[in-house]
Amino acid sequence: MQDRAPIVYIVDDDDAIRAALRLLLKSVGLAATTLPSAQDFLASYNPQQPGCLILDVRMPGMGGLELQEQLNLRGAIIPVIFITGHGDVPMAVEALQQGAFDFLQKPFRDQDLIDRIQRALSKDQTERSQLRERDLIERRLESLTAREREVLDLVIGGKPNKIMAADLGVSQRTVEIHRSRVMEKMGAASLAQLVRMVLDLKGGAATAA
Amino acid sequence: MHASRLATVGAMASGVAHELNQPLAAIATYAHACDRLLSLPNPEIGEVQAALREISAQALRAGDIIQKLRNLARVEESPRAPADINAVITELSDLIRSNAQAHGVRYRQELAPNLPTINIERAQIQQVVLNLVRNALEALALGRVDARELVVRTRATPSADVEVSICDNGPGVDEQLRYRIFDPFCSTKPAATGLGLPISRTIVQTHGGALDYRPNQPTGACFVVHLPSTWPN
Repeated sequence: MQDRAPIVYIVDDDDAIRAALRLLLKSVGLAATTLPSAQDFLASYNPQQPGCLILDVRMPGMGGLELQEQLNLRGAIIPVIFITGHGDVPMAVEALQQGAFDFLQKPFRDQDLIDRIQRALSKDQTERSQLRERDLIERRLESLTAREREVLDLVIGGKPNKIMAADLGVSQRTVEIHRSRVMEKMGAASLAQLVRMVLDLKGGAATAA
Repeated sequence: MHASRLATVGAMASGVAHELNQPLAAIATYAHACDRLLSLPNPEIGEVQAALREISAQALRAGDIIQKLRNLARVEESPRAPADINAVITELSDLIRSNAQAHGVRYRQELAPNLPTINIERAQIQQVVLNLVRNALEALALGRVDARELVVRTRATPSADVEVSICDNGPGVDEQLRYRIFDPFCSTKPAATGLGLPISRTIVQTHGGALDYRPNQPTGACFVVHLPSTWPN
């Protein structure tokens, strides 16, 4: 599942534009799935599938901005590249404010689009691997016992074993056993790595809130 | 009231411009794709041929759209009748005043008495005036909040023709744009078509008149419609 090839989704109500974009992407070896409406995309969207979304701003029915809003509500991380027409720049600015990855004005240079797609795909990949890592760390944290969790917090706080033993009212030897169990369960090779894991998780949680 | 025709033309032209962008984007993308496909070690000629056929189909689609735009922008010759410009403006007063009020703009009308008679297609000239009024109200919306004012004046020129000026005290036209504002698609407003002023000018010119811009004093814009009188005929 982690190694699925990325798919570039193209959502545009214009048949010719969809077909032309699909052919362009094929010519540079990128797989594309084309959909004629925002509703069709939402109906078939699989959050597990890596990729990016090329989205026409103006479409009958649900417009591009509305689809982006829907995706934001669902917590989707897929990067969105908006394609806008003449005079749609204010819409594009709004899209960027809502977290769109980038936008292009029609007609555009093929290389500009391909560069943006490549950047979007690499962003998607980075985010997905960060998410996987966070999930992994969270699952490991959940596997700790209450006492191990206490020891972890004290270790992160930089307390020496002797102080910890006093704080917890146990022997130094017991602290050492807990501590090595924590390192083992968390898969940390060093104290520095353990600290980074926990701080990354907290930092990520803080920015996501 | 035929006054909404110009607004309709404008909205339709905006749609047409958007529509025209579609085949152009498709053509450009197909052409780029063909270029890349032909650079591959073993290009599939059939695929490239299919794309080339699509390119010509899209070019025809663009041509159809331009034809539509042409029909839309054509100003029909229609029967003209002698008219008193003050009466023509007075018929619009209520509409202009309520629009101005809705925009928080004070509306003033200064109509000079005893003006020469002009020979016009009434509804078209009214469309021009309303279009200029709408531009002025939109410009005022961008300006400072207090003392927004719109003034419509009529007067006789020294050569005994008739002039209608639509003046506001908004930000005025940018010096760099000043000589381009009557060019099609030269719009500073995001939602606009860029056809309002060119179509207005065309209408006035078909009446043998002129539509010009001059800065208002101390600030703002004045659009001046110059219409030849029928006198002394």
